[in-house]
Amino acid sequence: MLSILREKAVLTLLVLVVLGVGIGVGHDRALDSGSSFLISDVVSLVVRPGASVFHMTTVATGAAARMARPRHSLLKENADLRREVTRLRKENAVLAEAAQENQRLRVALGLKESSRTEMISTEVISRKESTWFDTATIDKGRRAGVRKGWAVITSGWRLIGQVLEVDAFSSRIVALTDSNSAIGAMVQRSRSSGILQGQAGDYLVLSYLPKDADVKVGDVVVSSGMGQVVPKGLVIGRVVKVVRSEVMGSTKALVRPSIRMDQIEQVFVVKPGQSVPQ
Amino acid sequence: MKYVWPIVMLVAAAGLQGNLPKAVSILGARPDLVLVVLISYSLAADPAFGATLGFFAGLLHGSLVGFSLGSFIVTRTITGFLAGMVTARLFSENPLVPALSAIWLTIVCEALFLLANPSPDIAIAFRKVAGECIGNAIFTIFAFFAIRSLNTRRKIKLANARI
Repeated sequence: MLSILREKAVLTLLVLVVLGVGIGVGHDRALDSGSSFLISDVVSLVVRPGASVFHMTTVATGAAARMARPRHSLLKENADLRREVTRLRKENAVLAEAAQENQRLRVALGLKESSRTEMISTEVISRKESTWFDTATIDKGRRAGVRKGWAVITSGWRLIGQVLEVDAFSSRIVALTDSNSAIGAMVQRSRSSGILQGQAGDYLVLSYLPKDADVKVGDVVVSSGMGQVVPKGLVIGRVVKVVRSEVMGSTKALVRPSIRMDQIEQVFVVKPGQSVPQ
Repeated sequence: MKYVWPIVMLVAAAGLQGNLPKAVSILGARPDLVLVVLISYSLAADPAFGATLGFFAGLLHGSLVGFSLGSFIVTRTITGFLAGMVTARLFSENPLVPALSAIWLTIVCEALFLLANPSPDIAIAFRKVAGECIGNAIFTIFAFFAIRSLNTRRKIKLANARI
């Protein structure tokens, strides 16, 4: 036994494994306390520029591929966009009228102006870096004001996940679909609330619902705002299956997220205590 | 000095890993490029080198992901060590050697990882490991011979410089 331990390779392995365990424990503690971990910060500083370069290359290649299309395809897209612009102009005029009317009625009723939502706009520079975790990296960090636990959304007030770890210039976000993710959520129609957990797959599970919870297939699930970190009312997805357990006296709902991590480019980090426009 | 290029390649692989298109996924898993680089370098080296490189590979990959840094470091260190042991026992001219080595080393690495971080769905985990094995095997064939060719050229240059 001692002769095996004397071998340089085995000794190196043992030392490195012990060191790895030590670093792992330190990192987990830093993650739990929300503080930064120096080694991760340094490694991030080294890897980020490379990831950004690859991201820019991917985006540029995609853009070039889109440009290199037949003329008739571009003309068709142009015509579609013109129609879209006309439709949006009409819609904009109607909305501007509604906003003015809303303002007049608020003044007449003496209602307070609803607070503006403060968000930090960021770009996803890499995603799905491991087989086992549904995480991504965004290009804003501590310097831009991002903090651990804050909600990450995309257009349409759709919730993607939360900030997991923050370093000076970038942050890691964890998707709702990750098995480590759990947030308070509720059925928008009936307000039945529970805990939404990721399953490391394409679906989420809304559990801890009451036995007689009013939940149906097709219901929209939104964040419940429990814990006051993730704002209330952010769209999460739709119920695709309801499982009622007579034995356990509980109800579970399988939820399909409204957006997947691989579909996002631009995201917003929302500060806690914000109100979501209804 | 012998660690400089392997670590540069690991950093590049870590940067590229998060930008791999979904099209390269096999059975829902993308190839693990950091693991591919680690295996490719370690197959052409000794166990101590493999373990040390594995340590850096785990540190890089774990820091990039943000979860389970310790598991990443320990599993990659052991994988690098085992890959380094293959060299002495197998004739590695055959492209099947790096491919088959990548498969069993990926299985060992991910099995150890799943021991520390159990997956909620075993069926999905099996499918993902299978997909990753295939992806890693394909990428390792190219990476292994590219790295070996680079190493050979560097050795020739060094030898010429000495003469």
